[in-house]
Amino acid sequence: MSQPALQINNLVKDYGKTRAVDGLSLEVQPGEFFGYLGPNGAGKTSTIHAVTGIARFNEGTIRVFGRDVVKEYRDARRLVGLSPQEFNVDIFATPRLILDIVGGYYGMARAKRKERTEMLLERFDLAQHAEKEFRMLSGGLKRRVMLARALIHDPELLILDEPTAGVDVELRRELWVYLRELNEEGKTILLTSHYLEEVELLCNRIAIIGGGKIAMIGDKKDFMKNGKRLEDTYMEIANRSKEGKVK
Amino acid sequence: MNWIGLYTFVWREVQRFTRVSIQTLVTPWISALLFIFVFGSVVGQRIDTIGGVPYITFVFPGILIMNVISSAFSQTSSSLYFQRFARHIEEILVAPLSHLEMILGYIAGALARGVVVGVGIVIIGIFFGAVAMYNVPLFVFYMVMISVVFGLIGLLVGLWSDGFEQLALLNTFVIMPLSFLGGMFNSIDMLPPIMQKVVVWNPFFYFIDGVRYSMTGISESHIGLGMSIIIICSFALGSLVWVLFERGWRLRS
Repeated sequence: MSQPALQINNLVKDYGKTRAVDGLSLEVQPGEFFGYLGPNGAGKTSTIHAVTGIARFNEGTIRVFGRDVVKEYRDARRLVGLSPQEFNVDIFATPRLILDIVGGYYGMARAKRKERTEMLLERFDLAQHAEKEFRMLSGGLKRRVMLARALIHDPELLILDEPTAGVDVELRRELWVYLRELNEEGKTILLTSHYLEEVELLCNRIAIIGGGKIAMIGDKKDFMKNGKRLEDTYMEIANRSKEGKVK
Repeated sequence: MNWIGLYTFVWREVQRFTRVSIQTLVTPWISALLFIFVFGSVVGQRIDTIGGVPYITFVFPGILIMNVISSAFSQTSSSLYFQRFARHIEEILVAPLSHLEMILGYIAGALARGVVVGVGIVIIGIFFGAVAMYNVPLFVFYMVMISVVFGLIGLLVGLWSDGFEQLALLNTFVIMPLSFLGGMFNSIDMLPPIMQKVVVWNPFFYFIDGVRYSMTGISESHIGLGMSIIIICSFALGSLVWVLFERGWRLRS
């Protein structure tokens, strides 16, 4: 596919009188591991909600591999997998049931989703927990279920909204391995995270937003010039954003 | 049309109420059993026939649809509200399902629960000799339409509710009073004259009367009018629900 994996043009999202996303434009190319950063309330999750269909947006267009997320929402949504910040699942369902049902929502035939469910349970070391209710799982296992759920329909674009929030260092490193493998297999990944070392390690392009606008976008090396760490650049932009200097 | 998605949605709704079957199925069956016992064996023996049928046969349609209404309403209202509350509605919102498919899925769940509860109550009624059947196609029509109408009302409440209290509000202050005042356990002739004039403006009266006619052949209103009212109600409510889903009201933030 030669079209951008994700193309956002002049996105505006208001919540009542509050403007969460203010004319944001962004392109993510196929195969990229893209870091999408910003302080809390910057508009990261609002952007993700607009891309995935969780929220409506006020202005602009969003295309996923050329498919308009409003007009061609069925095609667009089949190409996107979302691992959200919060555990938005039926806590009484088992991992196997969660994967099977979500596969069904995506129109996958029973045999296909059974095969894919078993493969993902194995891949994320969930097989021995497959029949436990979600609420009984540890935080790390819950995160893995969220990732497996995002992948059940084999999407081309994977959106990960703070996928390692609240997990211990060991598991975070395990998740990094999974994510790298997925990217190497050709999945385009858009990652939001407050752990900048994670973004530094995994992503090849980065955007930082503040006040609902892109403050800086570029290759990872652009954020780390003159011996700066990503965190230094991030803090500079975050401070400028607080002072309202982000244009 | 995403047929597999829709089938999965319906199966999920059915699985949701069968998972807590004591609450969703056994409770209405026990409630109906107690009503049938009291109205049939205790009160019924002291009341003469109404319209030529025993009192228990006359009130049985009321007992039946009271539980079908409650089941259909609870299925959609609690399902949608809990999904919004726990945010796993997002699982559905990101899937390639249209709003029509989502609404059909919820309503099919309400219909399934209404049918399972209804069939169980009919079986209990047969055991107590309370069941008559005058017009089967009309009976099926009313059971389906009542489940659809109250499933749609449940969706409106599930969208509107911000808390558990609101979820129960409509059932307590609108559905139950209108059901009881719509001739669920009595003939319209038993009401004071002023109430007889008021009750004809209560749409629930026509639903109850229609089911009673389909089971006993006794009617206190024009059946064509009753059928028209329930069809109009289902289209009006269905359109309203569809518009709200399309706008994403309390659904897509």
